[in-house]
Amino acid sequence: MYALSVVVALAISSVIVEATGGDWWPVLKALVDGSIKAPGRWGETLGIAAPLLLVALGTVISAKAGLINIGQEGQLLMGAAFAVFFSFRIGGPGPLNVVLLLLFGALGGAVWASAAGLLRYWRGVPEVLSTLLLVFVAVQAVGYGLKWQWLLLADEASRGNRNLVSEQLTKDNRIPRPDIFGNEFPITVYVALALALAVAYVLARTVWGFRLRMLGHNPRAAQRSGVSSTTYGATALAIGGAFAGLAGAAMFAGGGFSFGNYRLVPGFSDFIGWTGLLVALMARERALPAVVAAFVFAMLRTGAGFVNSTGVESRITDVVQGLLVLALLVPPAVVFLRDRRRARAAATERV
Amino acid sequence: MTDATTGMAGTEGSDPSVPAVQLTGITKRFGGIVACDEVDLTLYRGLVHGILGENGAGKSTLMKVLIGLVLPDEGSILIDDQPRTIHDPLAAAALGIGMVHQHFSLVDQLSVWENVALGEAGKLDSSGVRRRVAAISKQYGLEIDPDARVGTLTAGLRQRVEIIKCLRRDPHILVFDEPTSVLTPEESEQLFSTLREVVAAEGRAVVLVSHKLDEVLHATDEITIMRQGRVVDHRPTQEADARSLARAMVGREVSLRSERAAFGLADIEEAVDADPEDRPPAETVISDEPVLRIEGVSVRGRGGARLLDDISLDLRAGEIMGVAGVEGNGQRTLGDLLSSLIPLDAGRVVVNDSEVRSGAPGAMAKAGIGVIPEDRHDSGVVLDMTVAENLLMVDPHRVARHGVMDKGQTTETALRMIEEFDIGCSGPDAPLWSLSGGNQQRVVLARELAAEPDVLVAAQPTRGLDVGAIEYMTDRLRQTAADGVAVLLISSELEEILELSDRIVVMSRGRIVGELSHGNANLETLGLLMGGSEG
Repeated sequence: MYALSVVVALAISSVIVEATGGDWWPVLKALVDGSIKAPGRWGETLGIAAPLLLVALGTVISAKAGLINIGQEGQLLMGAAFAVFFSFRIGGPGPLNVVLLLLFGALGGAVWASAAGLLRYWRGVPEVLSTLLLVFVAVQAVGYGLKWQWLLLADEASRGNRNLVSEQLTKDNRIPRPDIFGNEFPITVYVALALALAVAYVLARTVWGFRLRMLGHNPRAAQRSGVSSTTYGATALAIGGAFAGLAGAAMFAGGGFSFGNYRLVPGFSDFIGWTGLLVALMARERALPAVVAAFVFAMLRTGAGFVNSTGVESRITDVVQGLLVLALLVPPAVVFLRDRRRARAAATERV
Repeated sequence: MTDATTGMAGTEGSDPSVPAVQLTGITKRFGGIVACDEVDLTLYRGLVHGILGENGAGKSTLMKVLIGLVLPDEGSILIDDQPRTIHDPLAAAALGIGMVHQHFSLVDQLSVWENVALGEAGKLDSSGVRRRVAAISKQYGLEIDPDARVGTLTAGLRQRVEIIKCLRRDPHILVFDEPTSVLTPEESEQLFSTLREVVAAEGRAVVLVSHKLDEVLHATDEITIMRQGRVVDHRPTQEADARSLARAMVGREVSLRSERAAFGLADIEEAVDADPEDRPPAETVISDEPVLRIEGVSVRGRGGARLLDDISLDLRAGEIMGVAGVEGNGQRTLGDLLSSLIPLDAGRVVVNDSEVRSGAPGAMAKAGIGVIPEDRHDSGVVLDMTVAENLLMVDPHRVARHGVMDKGQTTETALRMIEEFDIGCSGPDAPLWSLSGGNQQRVVLARELAAEPDVLVAAQPTRGLDVGAIEYMTDRLRQTAADGVAVLLISSELEEILELSDRIVVMSRGRIVGELSHGNANLETLGLLMGGSEG
């Protein structure tokens, strides 16, 4: 089904590109070159896939509790800001610092998501709204932080021009990027993979995961069986935020050209949070499929860079990208609808 | 209604000798399961045709074929002697086939007339629809306020809306799928008189799908009995009696008592008369110390409505206490309270001498109160999880070490429970929604009993179940009490209450209006109390 819908999207794209006077074949080639084929590119793709996967894992956990967290972009940015603040204002010795700044990032995301959790369970504000709106607050808050040196802003000497940027992370505080076959990517890729396995295991096998899923499927049955929606729901939201925050910290300390080059800059989050949400959607809120989905979305991103250099108008390449994203999201939606219809039919048939 | 049994065929209108519907050799398979196996069915105008069968016998599938929700694998459909293929419900509607489903498809937030207008094409003519609703309700005695909000209506009234929705399209062929499963006895009676009218006066063909023997015996002209996807018997209603129908339906002899439980209201008097003498002597000694004490409990709903009003109950180990009452008089709230779903506003609930925090997640279950809820889909099961998971819902720690659930132990425990309670499913990993209603109910029962509760609350435990399942459930409840568990039986089936309970309390408008011992309870006293006249 995925193959079919991608082929359809490619076909439509080709028609659009040709119709607007472009050449189709180079566009497709650029997409493949940019994402995996050209030297060093699959490393780049993996580097983007890692934060996408982390964000998606957090989304999976919130979703299992029946919560719709769509504020990953803000939680990620907050995580990055916490990590930056820790690195330059608190700090610790060398390598240990790397671990600590990642944990601080997770804490930042968790705090931000917990704000939504608090509103939900204390005041009954739907988390769909609060998480979304908190994204915009996060953007403003981080922007504010970047105006003051005691918060996030770098001192004048190290920022060169007047841009609102943080200091650059020193070499011994960065996440290692070993070189493998001419490709390099931060080792957070392995961390993300390990976490994907861990999340899948926890959800499937532990009592906590079991009760979390129960809460998501039938809150009343869960309440009756002793699952507190407040405790479990708020925890799930916080963990979801922590994953996004971790992603933000990993982007900051993991390098890669797209992520500010070890600095916190305006627009740092760069839609990784939103895209991670799509990754979770494509994986139908399951941890292991999210690994594949994250890589596919990262491919789209790295490939798009090359497509832009083919001379086809950027608005058209945006359309192509949009079509491909849509193609990736249609199959899970269809599966979802089919399952639901089937379940409903079965339920009414056998009462 | 009781005398309206005979085959009086009101046959004005079209030629009654031509069958309105003729289904021949209908076969439908779902995977490996044959839901309908070469089923023949002929419907005539002016006759009520009962289709009787246990849950999962293929009744619903057959009806879905008729209204186009399911395409048969084999077989032919003749409507008025014309061969037809019915691809979807719209095609069925065009052929004049309408169905009143067991599960309502109404929008709670909308008013009655808006619900009736739903699905209509073109401009919305509110006064026209209102007039239409009024006309139909007058014609058939289905009294209803067109402007009432559906969410505020009782189950009986909602069904009226469904019936009006169906009648508005003026169908020649009307299918009622288990229409009384949500109705009180009075509402059922009213429904059947409407049904009679529809048939006799207007020559429509009516199908009544049911698993209640009594209902079919009293409201139909002919009966088709299905078992495991096949038609096992077909006869005019005059030639049928309860015992032979039950035997044909279940495929074996059923104990009289449980059979009665499946009959419905018309046999109540007989059942009550016979009951005190038949009753097996109580084997367990009922202790004096109450296990569950409910002391002056009040619960208020939104807007301050008194859902429970100063209720006090003492429940002792080994006894079955029946809570009788017309539905909607606080029974559901009582069940919810004992499921930790809602907090109370006054009073206290005490189990084994310690007070239980109301509304705290799982507190009641932890204190030893097992619950078979009124609506198992609401708080009893998780449809999207597996049978094993549902069996372990309340106490997953039983198969867990250090917070990790042991896969082998989970499966083993589930298999043991599946065997002990004879739960029909393809295995512990089958999703719960793939089970029939009776088997889902067994999952709930198995889980609640496995937790070895001190108190078992059974709310409408036999609703929607077929004869065999009712027999099983009532036997289990009796056994549970005999094992020293205090059983609170909340039911609107009077005769179930009369049959099982040692003591009976009656609820009306959130209050307990009377208590009777088994010996001096009968239909009349209960009826008076339920009607709200104290004393």
